[in-house]
Amino acid sequence: MAKTYDYLFKLLLIGDSGVGKTSILFRFSEDAFNISFISTIGIDFKIRTIDLDGKKVKLQIWDTAGQERFRTITTAYYRGSMGIMLVYDVTNEKSFENIKNWIRNIEENASADVEKMILGNKCDLEAKRQVSKERGEQLAVEYQIKFIETSAKDSLNVESAFYTLARDIKAKMEKKQKEASNPAGARSGAHQIRANEQQRKPTSWLSRCSLL
Amino acid sequence: MSRSSSVEDLPEQCKDLFTQDGVLLKACLGRPVTDLNSIGMLCIVQNQDNSKTIEWRPNDLITIDSDTQDQEWAVVNTIGRRQRTLSGNITSDYATARARIIKIPIEELKTFRVTRNNQQMQFSTKPGVWQTTFYFQHGNAEIFVAYLKNHVKTAKTRHDRNTYVVVEPNIESQVLNKSFAELDIFTENTTDVVWNLVSNFKQRPYETTMEAFSKLTDIVYYGNEGMNGKRDVSEEVVDLLTKSMNAMEEATTVTKSDEYEVISVKPTLPPRPSIPRGTPLSPEKWWALQDTEGRITEVEGVKQLIFRGGVAHSIRQCVWKYLLDYHPWHMTSAELKALTKKKTEEYFAMKLQWRSMTEGQEARFSEYRDRKSLVEKDVNRTDRTHPFFAGDNNPNLVILQDILLTYVMYNFDLGYVQGMSDILAPLLLLLGNEVDSFWCFVGFMDKIASNFDMDQAGMKHQLLQLQQLLTFASPELANHLAQKDSGNMYFCFRWLLVWFKREFSHRDIMRLWEVLWTSLPCANFHLLICVAILDAEKDILISKDYGFTEILKHVNDLSMCLDVDKILSTAEGIFHQIMSAPHLTDQIRIILGLPPMSTSTSSHSGSDAPTTSKSETNGTKEDQRTGMFGQDMDEDTLEYNGLQICIVTKTVWALLA
Repeated sequence: MAKTYDYLFKLLLIGDSGVGKTSILFRFSEDAFNISFISTIGIDFKIRTIDLDGKKVKLQIWDTAGQERFRTITTAYYRGSMGIMLVYDVTNEKSFENIKNWIRNIEENASADVEKMILGNKCDLEAKRQVSKERGEQLAVEYQIKFIETSAKDSLNVESAFYTLARDIKAKMEKKQKEASNPAGARSGAHQIRANEQQRKPTSWLSRCSLL
Repeated sequence: MSRSSSVEDLPEQCKDLFTQDGVLLKACLGRPVTDLNSIGMLCIVQNQDNSKTIEWRPNDLITIDSDTQDQEWAVVNTIGRRQRTLSGNITSDYATARARIIKIPIEELKTFRVTRNNQQMQFSTKPGVWQTTFYFQHGNAEIFVAYLKNHVKTAKTRHDRNTYVVVEPNIESQVLNKSFAELDIFTENTTDVVWNLVSNFKQRPYETTMEAFSKLTDIVYYGNEGMNGKRDVSEEVVDLLTKSMNAMEEATTVTKSDEYEVISVKPTLPPRPSIPRGTPLSPEKWWALQDTEGRITEVEGVKQLIFRGGVAHSIRQCVWKYLLDYHPWHMTSAELKALTKKKTEEYFAMKLQWRSMTEGQEARFSEYRDRKSLVEKDVNRTDRTHPFFAGDNNPNLVILQDILLTYVMYNFDLGYVQGMSDILAPLLLLLGNEVDSFWCFVGFMDKIASNFDMDQAGMKHQLLQLQQLLTFASPELANHLAQKDSGNMYFCFRWLLVWFKREFSHRDIMRLWEVLWTSLPCANFHLLICVAILDAEKDILISKDYGFTEILKHVNDLSMCLDVDKILSTAEGIFHQIMSAPHLTDQIRIILGLPPMSTSTSSHSGSDAPTTSKSETNGTKEDQRTGMFGQDMDEDTLEYNGLQICIVTKTVWALLA
C-alpha cells in the first residue's frame, strides 16, 4: 500500500450524550451538517487528511457514545489515542460540570501524555446559553488545557480546533523524535517508539499503531 | 461577537434539513455565465407546507467574514482547500445574491446522477436534460445522495448505475404497506406442493426436504380440502421423506467421489444446507387459528410459521401483541378485552406519576431529572427521517417521549438507556397506539433487559458467546479477528444492543424482530444472525487483511446494505450445520439452549419412523411460558448419513407415529 500520509494521529471525541460530538465530526470530515442526527451507539470513526506545515497528517477521529453506562465499552478505544477533544454543550450546565469527570476518565484510561482540548459546542444558540465563555476559559486554565467555543451547525471554529490539536500533537511528536535520535534522550514514551518505527518501516505504521 | 448563520438569514418558515458546503455551481440552464463556478452550499430544505426543495445558495450570500476565529489561535492558516462558509456581514448585494439561489422542488425532480468519482452531481426535472450541474470540492457527493434518499424513493437505471430515477418524490409510509402486501403471496395448493417436492428433490435434495417440511406444516395446519383428514397426509409424509432421504444419500455420495475432496485435519462443519424462507403468516391463516372464543390454538405451529416467513403486514398489529407477551395466547376475546382495560388503567396511573410532578419536586429529584433529560435528547434524534417522526412539533414524538418517561416510572432502576428509543420507535410506528406500544415495549425489554445492565455485563456475556459461536462455526474468521485485536467482538456492539435496529430499514427490521421473537429454532438465534452476517464478510475481512480499525469500519458500513431474508436463511443453515457437527461441544450446546451432553437423555420416542431419535430440550424461558401445545417444546432430530436435521415442530412427527 502506497503511503499517502506522513503521520497518522488517532483522536477521540468524548463528552456527555447529546453535546454534539457526532455533529462536530461530521462538520470536520464532510463539511456538512444534518438537522436530524441520530445518537451514536457503540463507536465509529472518520478519517480526514490535512496538511500541516507541508506534512500530510491523517487524522483518524473516533466518535463515542456519551452515556455513562457505555463507558466500559468505549474506554477500550481510548488506547493509543494521541489527542482527545472534551466536548460540552454551552446550553447544558450538566454537560459542562461533567467535563471534570471526563478528565478523570481520561487519566484512568488514556496514556498520560495525551493532548487534550476542551470544546464548548452549540455556541450558535446564544439565547439558550447556560455556560458563559468565561467559565469555559476558567476551567481550561485550571486544567491547563486549550479551550475554544464551537458551532458544528454554523461551522465555527471546528476546523481550527482540529488543526490546533493536530499541530500540538505533531510538535510533541517531533520533539520526542528529536530526543530519540539524540543518544542522551533515551527511550521514554510511546510516541517516541512509534516515531522510531515509523522512520524505519513507514508502511507498517498503521498496523503498528492499532496494535499499540 | 456578532454572528449570523445562513439558516437564520432565510425566511423563518423554511428549515434546512441537511446542508453540505463546498459545492460549486458548474452549469445551470437559463443562468448567466457569471453565476457559474461560484461556490456555495447545497441544502435539502423543508418548506412551510412540508414540501421539500433542493437548494443551492452562493456563499457570498452568507459569507464574507474574515477568519477572525482563527486569530484567537494565532495559527498559520494552512487549511486552504476549504472555503469559509460562515459569516458576519450581509452585503448590500444581498437581494441580488438571493436571486441567485437555485431551487429544485423535490416533487419535480425526475432523475439525478453522480459522476466523476463522486465529484459531480446533476439534477433533472425533465427527461433528457440535465438542468443543473454541481461540483463537490471534497469529492463527497455520495453524502448528499445518501441524505437525499431519505426524502425520495429512487431506483437505479439499468444501463448506468450512477443514475438514479425518482420513483416517488415523497416517501410515505403507505409505500411500505403496499410492498408488504405484495410480499404476501401464499397461493400454492397442497397438490402442487407434493408434485414440486417429487420433481425437485433429485436436483436439490436437502433444500427440497426442508421446503417440504415447511409446506407440510402448512398442510397439516391449514387444511387440505382435497383430502380427508390427517391420515392421508401422514402416508404421503412417510413416502416423501423416504424418497428425499434416498436422494440425499445419492447426492452425498456423488459429491464426495466426483466433485471435490476435502482434506482437513481440523474438525469441520458439515456442508451448510440452503434453507428457503417461507411466506409470511397470512391473515386468513391467522384468523383460522382462533377458536370460537378467540383463543389462539396451535401456538407452536404459529411460531413455526412466523419463524419461517414472518407475519403479513396487515396483521402485525395483532400478532405482535402475542409475540411480545402483552396478549397471552390462551386468552379469549372477552378476557383480552378485560386485560386491555386493566393495562390501560395501569399505564395511565404510571403516566400520572410523572405528569403530576411539580417543578419544585422535579428540581429536588435529580435522578428523575437526569433520566428525563436523556429521554428528551434521544427522542429528538430517533428516526427523524421517517415521515412518522419527521418535522417539528410532531405529535408522535410526544407519544414516544411519554412512553419512555412512563417506562422510567415502570422500571425506575433501569431508567432510560440509550438504544431504548430505537427499540420503541418501530413498535409505535406499527401499533400507533400509546398504551399498546408501551406494553409491547415492556415485553421486548423483558427479552433484552440484560443489554442495558449498568455494568454492561449482559452485553459482555453475549459478545463472549458470539465469539465462541464464531470460533466453532467459522474458525478461520475467528482466528483472524483474534490476531487483529478484535477478539472481544466489540465491533458488533451496536448490532446486539438494539437487535440490529440500526442495520436495517424499518420494513426489514420488523421482519427480523418478529422472527427472533419466536425464540426459534434455538436460544440466542440473534447471535447466529451475527455469525451469518460476519460469515458473508469473511472473505473480504481475511483477504484484505483488515486490521482493528478497518474491521470496525467495514462492519459499521454494512448498515442498510444487508439482505434480511438471505441472512435469516444463512443463520438457519449455520444452526443446522452446528447441530449436526460431530464435535459439537457442551459450551456451544449451552449457548443454544440445549442441555449439555453429559446430562442429555437420548431415548427413542417409540415412534415408527426409522432413524429418528428424540431428545428433550429445556427450551428457553419463552417456550416454557407458552404451554398450549405441550409442557415444553420438543425438538426432534432426524439423523441421516451423519447429517442431523432438527425439526422443531411436533406435528410433523406426530403424523409419522
